[in-house]
Amino acid sequence: MKQFKINYLFLAFTFVTLFASCRKDKQDPISSPQLTAERKGLFVLCEGSFNGNNSSLTYYDYDSKILTQDQFAKVNNRGLGDTGNDIKVYGSKMYIIVNVSSTIEVVNAKTAASIKNIKMDDAGKDRQPRYIVFNKNKAFISSYDGTVAVMDTTSLTIEKYITVGRNPEQMAIANGKLYVANSGGLDFNNPDKTVSVIDLNTLTEIKKITVVVNPRGVAADQYGDVYVLSSGNYTDINASMAIIDSKTDLVKKQNDFDGGSMIIKDDFAYISTYDHVKVYNVKTETIEKEDFITDGTTITSPYGVAVDNLTGEVFITDAKNYISNGEVFCFDKDGHKKYSIATGINPNNVVFINK
Amino acid sequence: MIIFLFSGKLLAQTDTTQLREVKVFSTPIPKVKTLIPTQQVSASDFKRYNANSVADAIHNFSGVNIKDYGGIGGLKTVSVRSLGENHTGVLYDGVQINDAQNGQIDLGKLSLDDVQEIILYNGQPAEICQPARTYAFASVLAIKTIHPQLNSNKPYQIKATIKGGSFGLINPSLQWQQKLAESWSMVVNGNWQNATGKYKYKVDGDGSDTLTIRKNGDITSFGTDASLFWAKDDSNKLSFRINYYNSEQGLPGAIIFYSSSSNQRLWNKDVFLQTGYDKKWVNGLHLLLNTKVSQNYIRYLDPDFLNQQGELDQRYTQHEYYQSAALSYKVYPNLELSYASDISLNDLSTNQSNYAYPIRFTWLNVFAGALKLGRLNVQGNILNTRINEWVKKGKAAPSKSIYSPTFMLTIEPFTNPDFQLRAFYKDIYRIPTFNDLYYTNVGIRTLKPEFAEQYNIGFTFSKAFTQILDYATITTDIYYNNVKDKIIAIPSKDINTWSMFNLGKVDIRGLDLSLKTQTPLGENWKVILSGNYTYQEALDVTDSKSSVYLNQIPYTPKHTLAINAGINDERVSLYYNQIYCSSRYYTSQNLPEYFVPGFSISDASLTYKFSLNKFLATASAEVNNLFNKSYAIIRSFPMPGRSVRFTFQITI
Repeated sequence: MKQFKINYLFLAFTFVTLFASCRKDKQDPISSPQLTAERKGLFVLCEGSFNGNNSSLTYYDYDSKILTQDQFAKVNNRGLGDTGNDIKVYGSKMYIIVNVSSTIEVVNAKTAASIKNIKMDDAGKDRQPRYIVFNKNKAFISSYDGTVAVMDTTSLTIEKYITVGRNPEQMAIANGKLYVANSGGLDFNNPDKTVSVIDLNTLTEIKKITVVVNPRGVAADQYGDVYVLSSGNYTDINASMAIIDSKTDLVKKQNDFDGGSMIIKDDFAYISTYDHVKVYNVKTETIEKEDFITDGTTITSPYGVAVDNLTGEVFITDAKNYISNGEVFCFDKDGHKKYSIATGINPNNVVFINK
Repeated sequence: MIIFLFSGKLLAQTDTTQLREVKVFSTPIPKVKTLIPTQQVSASDFKRYNANSVADAIHNFSGVNIKDYGGIGGLKTVSVRSLGENHTGVLYDGVQINDAQNGQIDLGKLSLDDVQEIILYNGQPAEICQPARTYAFASVLAIKTIHPQLNSNKPYQIKATIKGGSFGLINPSLQWQQKLAESWSMVVNGNWQNATGKYKYKVDGDGSDTLTIRKNGDITSFGTDASLFWAKDDSNKLSFRINYYNSEQGLPGAIIFYSSSSNQRLWNKDVFLQTGYDKKWVNGLHLLLNTKVSQNYIRYLDPDFLNQQGELDQRYTQHEYYQSAALSYKVYPNLELSYASDISLNDLSTNQSNYAYPIRFTWLNVFAGALKLGRLNVQGNILNTRINEWVKKGKAAPSKSIYSPTFMLTIEPFTNPDFQLRAFYKDIYRIPTFNDLYYTNVGIRTLKPEFAEQYNIGFTFSKAFTQILDYATITTDIYYNNVKDKIIAIPSKDINTWSMFNLGKVDIRGLDLSLKTQTPLGENWKVILSGNYTYQEALDVTDSKSSVYLNQIPYTPKHTLAINAGINDERVSLYYNQIYCSSRYYTSQNLPEYFVPGFSISDASLTYKFSLNKFLATASAEVNNLFNKSYAIIRSFPMPGRSVRFTFQITI
């Protein structure tokens, strides 16, 4: 048991590293018809501390300005579990991917009341799900066991597991294809360096595209390009960004680039690094602003970024010292702080709920 | 009573052998070593505390916070006065059990078979002739082993013990003491243990309301120890020891909601050789030599790890080569000076690729002096630590040289020596471990040592009586400690890369209170009662802008109380132990959602001594967690409910 400390550290490298998921604006079938909708509030997924069983779902109600620290536990009388990693709303349901507990919590998007707790295991062995994206009433869930699960969003049953590369992380959809970053991050000295391309009609992997080692973040723009952020190997291979043309599935650019997670809204990608958030222009393919924040607001440890398509507000989550409660900052599109709310430990993602 | 370090010709140490005699009746008044706060427990008292390991034996001590991950193979480490696990040195017959890799000694793995006495010193033992390493910790846990006391009429003693009980425990052990020649004797111990480690617990927070069985907590271990002693007389002694320990166990891991897969395994294989030579001359010169060579092997396997191999298999081997020499001299009857020098070499190798393979050379030099002026005793020392490191790959940590002072005194304010005042100051460090410095790819080589400063004042009152009470001792200490440059893990380059940094600061204020009494009951019975109370305020003062500023550090209760009561006669002893620990927080942030409830746990034991074919036999039954309380010391690591252990021992 002496090994506890080592392993904590060891695993911390892997699990503590969470990224705000990329919201696929164009592909999200619910986003366009709801542009006229009115927001009720927002949920912040807080991953908690590793092995702490303290993932939580902070709810902020816009009208009453009431903050509920753990809406999930409040309505379901049980906790989310360990390391909530991704959250998305699709239709009337909200999907929460809990990595270490190896579950998908499907809840009512407005109330967070549980609809189904789906255990992700393979003959008793945890698959460790990481991220979720949606396409035509199917959910695609990447898991550390090297698979992407295909789940029907009506029956909530998993219909297929597609084998991809090692330890897949984020995914994005472009041109009828799913792009999956195969990090291989659990092989510290030999990470994976591929992006799996899955045909969304046949649900099979049709290609593996080679990028710089340890790809984790993926996002697609409105021009058919897929951006892949690789972490490198932390020694001699630098962090890097690959731009894949989804028509040819070839890497058209690969450059050194610092950044963990990335989301794209129209022409701008918001990328959080360990100490700031930068803005990248996907049209010109150049850095738009080195620091998104323009009013001097200090964020200790940016952990995730989200943009509200309806209001254009940009939300940056702050993990502080990673062991105490975090904070979420709301900015206008020009980087001026509007307000901030207190959250649970390690907030990593924000989703917006309509009235 | 008690120890006077400077009492002229009185060279012979107080002998503790009476504790081994069968005459349990003549319980001596507990020794109070007044120069620094000291707590001890001897072999005859292990049953009082239902102790099965060193960790159990000291869990009543004040100022002690045992982190227990639960279950029979669960990690148990000790933090003394909130300074953290790595600030306590564990000495085995005066020589440190060192773990250069991560600095943690699992006290749950140290068996009590061969233990005569365990002493916890805040600061350091107040002896003047001791290895330099003894000066190098914020507190010292000294384990003293049994030295044979045999005579030519019965030149041997064999003790056979079998323990069994909850968790599927089967634990036979054998101790053989033999007088070999006039000045030679030996002790051989063997201990085999097997347990399934299963117990029921309740998961809080996942919506379930049934009890679950804690699995993968099995352990099989074998330990053996052989020592050879040569003693010309009490002032000229030599000892050799070889010790081997081998275990395989499951690591049950944290309870994770909705997940039950826990298949991690751990193997340990440790061996050491140790020799000691102790010579006192009549002119006041005292020489102490110690040598140790050790090898520790650890293997950790996670068969569910989702990497390319489908498992994570980490193996580490470390070596230590250690030599110590200490010399003291009584310049005047009331002034003694000493010098001690220790050198050690540590290395660590592994099957992990890209590893640094560090080698560390440590050289400790200490000058100490002790002076007695009437009713005032003063002792002080200055320790210099020099460290040089080499690596096969990458960059080694830079060399270090650190000076560490300690100062302590006692005063008897009245002519009656029953009441004494004491104070000590110590400024000490802990060296970053190999894991802190060289963890694959991410270690920060420039990490500084973590410093702990201690200020303590207190008093002791100890008196033997003739009526009502046999004796009563009371000790009280208040202290202020601070930790600076505390080594904590935070992300460095990006959030994927966590490294250790010297960033933490902790302010600690505390009070230790202890009381021991014994009173006769009728002709044959004795009633003993002891209590320890600790108050600790250990506040994070790292960053005044942070939300955790002035919050109590994780897992540190403000109040702990341990009460032990018992009644015994020559044959029967019955003990009851109660530990109360106030609530804690499991994060640095003291918010209701991070609250860990306090607990109050009771243990009881009954021991019966009788003769079996002229041999002394002992049978005992121990019940832990008598009222079957559900609790956890470390969140997500539930402790067992009620459990029993039966012991039968025969001494031939």
